[in-house]
Amino acid sequence: MNNRQLAVMLFAGLAELVGHREVSLDWQGGTAADLRSALQNKYPAAASLLARSAVAVGERYCRDQDQVAVGDDVAMLPPVSGG
Amino acid sequence: MAERATPNSKTVDAPPRSCGDAGIPPRLTAAPIDVEQLRCQVGSELAGAVVVFVGTTRSKTGDQITERLEYEAHGPMATASLTLLQEEAVRRFSLQGCGIVHRLGVVEVGQASVAIAVSSPHRRDAFAATAWLMDRIKSSVPIWKREHAVDGSRRWVHGEERPGP
Repeated sequence: MNNRQLAVMLFAGLAELVGHREVSLDWQGGTAADLRSALQNKYPAAASLLARSAVAVGERYCRDQDQVAVGDDVAMLPPVSGG
Repeated sequence: MAERATPNSKTVDAPPRSCGDAGIPPRLTAAPIDVEQLRCQVGSELAGAVVVFVGTTRSKTGDQITERLEYEAHGPMATASLTLLQEEAVRRFSLQGCGIVHRLGVVEVGQASVAIAVSSPHRRDAFAATAWLMDRIKSSVPIWKREHAVDGSRRWVHGEERPGP
């Protein structure tokens, strides 16, 4: 079912390693930490960078225990390097 | 976001305003940064100090010779995050004015990639605010740089720390 697909935006080196700026995951619900694990399983080449990446929903960082739902505006943010 | 319910957040994409206006929204821009304009915008008759910090593209990191940098951001989140940092800096350091501009896209060696200007009644607060803002920008604002080396190789710069608020 398409309505169980979670769209996740990727940035910088994470997008480069995965090969896409946005990916779609089968998602029955879960926490930000669950999302990180699911992405690590699906993209093992990016597992190490994913471990250091934060989950954001909308314009806010999630804590590991925060719930992520289909339809949320989700992004994986690798370690930042602005400035 | 409730925390963003401020005059600043409503005008994030507004063009720069006239000299001496303290409420300058932070900006992400593909165009070169006009540092003098930013300095002018934070000026205030109540300020005894204006501190301007300009981060520039360095040609050498360790043994690597960098030709240019390229910046990417999670635009809406970076703008929201900069707005919150600016508001916190104004409160924490009793600033009169505060402005932040960060480049996106390609930034050649020697050009400014980021500029911060703050004004305050006394210089210590202005120096402290500038340092505090740069530390926070480097640890929490979703912006990334990619180094383009002279040998043609390109590398996204990611540290070890997971970013957070």
